[in-house]
Order: sequence, then structure tokens, then C-alpha cells
Amino acid sequence: MTLELHATPEEVMRAVDVLREFCRARQVAENTLFALTLALEECASNIVNHALQHDALQTFRMTLEYTGNTMVIELRDRGQEFDPTHPPVMGKETSDDDRQPGGWGIQLARRFTDKILYAREGGENVLRLFKILNAPMEGNLHRQ
Amino acid sequence: MPLEIQIQKNLDSQRSGAVTVKLAGSLDTATAPELERQLSPVLAGQIRDLVFDLAQLKFISSAGLRVFAMARKQLKERGGQTGFVNLQPQIKEVFEIIKSLPGVAVFKDVAEFDQYIAARQRARE
Repeated sequence: MTLELHATPEEVMRAVDVLREFCRARQVAENTLFALTLALEECASNIVNHALQHDALQTFRMTLEYTGNTMVIELRDRGQEFDPTHPPVMGKETSDDDRQPGGWGIQLARRFTDKILYAREGGENVLRLFKILNAPMEGNLHRQ
Repeated sequence: MPLEIQIQKNLDSQRSGAVTVKLAGSLDTATAPELERQLSPVLAGQIRDLVFDLAQLKFISSAGLRVFAMARKQLKERGGQTGFVNLQPQIKEVFEIIKSLPGVAVFKDVAEFDQYIAARQRARE
């Protein structure tokens, strides 16, 4: 299924609600659902905040695919090129007060999914999140 | 899923100056701004310690963690403490992954937080 969403936080959470309904209809485990919703929230928020710059007139699309043992969430937007799989590096040597919260979102998304792929296709940012159902979280990141 | 916010000032002498914030529901990109708005006057006051009771919090994202980080920074500047109690397993997992709230203390429950505050006050006397 595919959904078109405006670039607002409320629309991000509408996407999350649709994902929850989609997964519950397919009896996806609650802990897996938590992981998927968190990954979607973080990645869609990145689109709203960075690629589409909070412009509520802009839209992005979410497609959900369930294959029986894998859930795939695809996010597409026509904003400026933004590859969230290359976030700023948070150095361990940085002092507590200097550490910035930027990058937490993708850090969570990568830990709660099994694979994240980014590509720039036909002027679109295309992000695909993969979650193998009932598999340990591995958090691999790849650019196509 | 909405976010319910309950802010309680503690009046007993042991926790004087401390505020408890109970959160229920979802702390996400859509609800975090409301928490930040409600915390703003609290943090502008004279409080020193803040404890978030997360027993009923079902979901959190980095948007919510940023609000916690903001509160923690403001309280630290005045020698205060930000604590968290009653974390549900999934919320605790998010905290553990991030490990980006240094100086923020996670307690098993309010009683453990009270013991910490009392011990700190005794050390200062």
C-alpha cells in the first residue's frame, strides 16, 4: 500500500498509525512493531526536517510491503538530496556538554532495523527500511 | 497516540524544590513540542531537581529525547539533577542505544530517586 503525506510532524504520526494498523492486521509481534514505528518516525521526520525543510505544501510517499518474513518501508521525497545513512559522526571523545542530539534519529533507526538502503533516483530521495521478522537487530547500512 | 502530561510539585521537605513529570502515551515528533512548552515555565522557576515518571510512556523517539536533553542541560547549570523512573523495557532499550544523555540518572522507581536526593542533601549539609 502507498500513502502520500504532507511534510508535517502530524503527517509523520499519521504514517506511523497506518503502519501500526498494517502490521497488526498481519499479526506482527509488538516488539517488532515498536522497532518499525520508531524507525519510520525517525526517517520520516528526517525527510520533513531536512529534505523538505518543514514545507507543509511538499509531500512524500510511504509504501509498505509485507512478504511474510520481511517488512519493507519505502519513503520517497523530491526534496534536496539527503542521505540519512551518512549522519554526522558523534565522537566518543566529545565532552558531555558538547554532544549534540543530531544524529540520534538515524542511530535509532539503524539499530531497530536490519538494513537501510538509500538511493537518489530520478530526482527523488529513496529510503528503504528492511525488518526481518523475528530476527535479531543488526543495523546494517548500505548506499546503493 | 496522544501524550498526557502531569506536572506535580513536591511539597514534602525531603523533595522540596523537586518536580515530578508523569508522561503517558507517545512522546514523538508531534507531541514533543507540547512537552517542551509545558516544561518551559517549570524550568524557568527555582526548581533544582526534575524526575520524569515514565511508567505509562509507551513510545519515545529522538524528538522526545531532545526535550529531556534540554531539561537536563538547564538543571545541570544550576547544580540540579534530572532523573527517570519506571522505564518500560522498550523505552529503556532506546535510552541504552542512545547513551547520549550523560549526567541523566535512571532510577528503578521514585523511592530510589528520593534516596538519591536525600543523600545528596545530607552531603551538602
